[in-house]
Amino acid sequence: MAGRAIVAWLDERVDLSGLRHFVAEKTVPVHAHKVWYYMGGLALFLFLVQVATGILLLLYYRPSASEAYESVKFIVSTVEFGWLIRNVHSWSANLLVLIAFIHLFSTFFLRAYRRPRELTWLSGVALLFLMLAFGFSGYLLPWNELAFFATKVGTGVAGAVPVVGDFLVRFMRGGDEVTGATLTRFYGLHVAVLPAITTVVLALHLLLIQRQGMSVPIGVEKRAREGVPIAQMPFFPNYVLRDLMWWFIALAIIAALSVFSPWELGQKADAFAPVPAGIRPEWYFLAMFQLLKMLPSHILGLEGEMLGVLGFSLIAVAVLLVPFLDTRAARGEPNRPLTVIGIVGLILFIAFTIYGYVAA
Amino acid sequence: MASFKRTLLVVLAVMAGAAAAAAQPATSGCVTCHAGLAEARYAAPAADFGGTDVHRERGFTCVDCHGGDARATDKALAKAPATLYRGKPSPQAVVAVCSRCHSDAAFMRKFAPRQRVDQAVEFAASVHGQRLATGDTAVATCTSCHGAHGIRLVSDARSPVFPLNVAGTCARCHADPAHMKGYTLPGGEPLPTTQVADYETSVHFAALTKANDLSAPTCNDCHGNHGAAPPGAGSVVNVCGTCHTVFATKFALSTHSQIFDRGCVECHGNHAVLEPSDTMIGTSGDSLCAGCHSDGDSGFAAAGAMRREIDRMKAAIDASRALVARAANAGMEMSDQELALREAFNHLTLARTEVHTFDPAAVSAVLSKGLAITTAVDQAATAALEEWRFRWTGLVASVIAILVTVVALFFKVRALDRDHGLRA
Repeated sequence: MAGRAIVAWLDERVDLSGLRHFVAEKTVPVHAHKVWYYMGGLALFLFLVQVATGILLLLYYRPSASEAYESVKFIVSTVEFGWLIRNVHSWSANLLVLIAFIHLFSTFFLRAYRRPRELTWLSGVALLFLMLAFGFSGYLLPWNELAFFATKVGTGVAGAVPVVGDFLVRFMRGGDEVTGATLTRFYGLHVAVLPAITTVVLALHLLLIQRQGMSVPIGVEKRAREGVPIAQMPFFPNYVLRDLMWWFIALAIIAALSVFSPWELGQKADAFAPVPAGIRPEWYFLAMFQLLKMLPSHILGLEGEMLGVLGFSLIAVAVLLVPFLDTRAARGEPNRPLTVIGIVGLILFIAFTIYGYVAA
Repeated sequence: MASFKRTLLVVLAVMAGAAAAAAQPATSGCVTCHAGLAEARYAAPAADFGGTDVHRERGFTCVDCHGGDARATDKALAKAPATLYRGKPSPQAVVAVCSRCHSDAAFMRKFAPRQRVDQAVEFAASVHGQRLATGDTAVATCTSCHGAHGIRLVSDARSPVFPLNVAGTCARCHADPAHMKGYTLPGGEPLPTTQVADYETSVHFAALTKANDLSAPTCNDCHGNHGAAPPGAGSVVNVCGTCHTVFATKFALSTHSQIFDRGCVECHGNHAVLEPSDTMIGTSGDSLCAGCHSDGDSGFAAAGAMRREIDRMKAAIDASRALVARAANAGMEMSDQELALREAFNHLTLARTEVHTFDPAAVSAVLSKGLAITTAVDQAATAALEEWRFRWTGLVASVIAILVTVVALFFKVRALDRDHGLRA
């Protein structure tokens, strides 16, 4: 009763008829591949978890080389439920990147990027890159030994970029080496710059999805054109409640991981300490890291690392431009070569990630 | 000891630097003739002196020690009386030949300004020097240890007096029963020849040769080098105390310092100083205390009390460590407690030092601080394990609640689907 009164009160002042209409009319297509639709909602949920836990961590975190490690240690050992917030933030971040990758690959294989959804794809890929930037910058913030040396290696890779490499390294590190200046730089990026950009890109991504509705696979669309209607389910409540189920399951998984496998804090970073054994980046950079390590120092007279970085940059650009490169999908036709490229890319990504773990 | 050794090494390192600049080729009539002689005892000195030799590298030649005329190409002219040719110095003369330069501060300043010039005086006070003065030519002189013609800096690892080689150099005589025959201890017993073999079983030898700790003692660190002599029973504590200062201070305040004739050696031995352990104290048969004390005397009670306190501390540290490991393995943050346990272990080490006062109260005072640390660590680890159980309980409750909600949602969704005709 109170809820209805509030809605009526709001309706009188801001006219909710448009929203009511949207909620009542919005539907989601039902077909064999609809399970992949939940990945987007799941990524959104995990992002919101990141925002909430990130804000709570901000209350105690201190972004300086002398206090960062101690403040995280204080959070996990002394602050009430600080351990839970930090572990949820760390595990949720990793699940978010995993789900974002699954979301990207499912969108790719279902050709959901095809006209008229090119902008949704572009904003989605941009969001994935933003999540990777969140991961890279956040990894350093506890200022522990592994993160320190992994960041040193990770930022050093940028030095392989021709012409502007040295500038990029100095720009990222705030100097020649990874120091407290790098930490404050990464902190500003992690809690201000990236969230601001993400908010805008995410809003655009969600707006485009609501405006254009869910894409259906080419085969389903073809059958619809041949007269087989696509079943629809109401967005509210049928789809929303399904989304909610996924969110709850994700929450249970994060809670279990946080208790069962708490994120280790390790030793405080020490620039003068010997490089510890087994330094490696987060799992989502491991495939790239391993590939760069395996490249010969020179290929056809050019620096191997430089060619590697250029190759990754080209792949990133190609992924961004997929909707414009895949003209067959735009015409509603299957594109088997692209599917093969996608499968090979996925297998290589998984294989090099596993190899990176084994090699370390 | 260590600082003297460092100083000596620095001096000789400076000399080595000068050597490079002042190196002279050994071109003289002496070398020309001797190098061509078939008999090894005449040819070897020329060959050795022509190799690495600290004196030749600084411009000294054969005639500086042996006299003669190096320019002469004829043997008779080279060794004519007018050339003050001395030939091979006798053992007694060796010290005089060396000390002509090495005891001359003004002369030595030109080559090694920081090097001591009292070696000959020290040697004269040594057992070697005193016996040499009585005509015993079997004792060591300068050349016995340093060599004669291929003399290397002490800092040179191939020098016979480099720390790692000292024991072997001394053993050439002291481990040779034939050479040592006739030498006796003050009490008249034959001088043993097992010192180096015993030393090689010691913790000092292990530190020197296995841990490569050049400050670890070898023969000359306790006996002196140029002034080599047994330390004497009354001086043992001082000798050991040059390195083990805290132990010496504690021991000096103890009742045992008035009772033990041979100081530290009574419990730790001399050449075969073994790794100390807690079993050395106490009242059991294998403890050293039980060798003198028996049930009923105050020393026996004190030894038992100190051992019990130390064992208690060790047990407390082991128990705390296990508890902390359990909490850490469960994922709890225990680095502060791990650090505190290191501090508790430091107190155990301090207590082992305090044992040298032979005062149970002093040992107990140190250990009580360590036990306070382990008690605090145990409380923190127990609280961490309690917290860990709370987390698991919370996780199980949360997951059950979430699963119930998910199941409820599942049935709700099925019902909604049926209502919308999406499910039969």
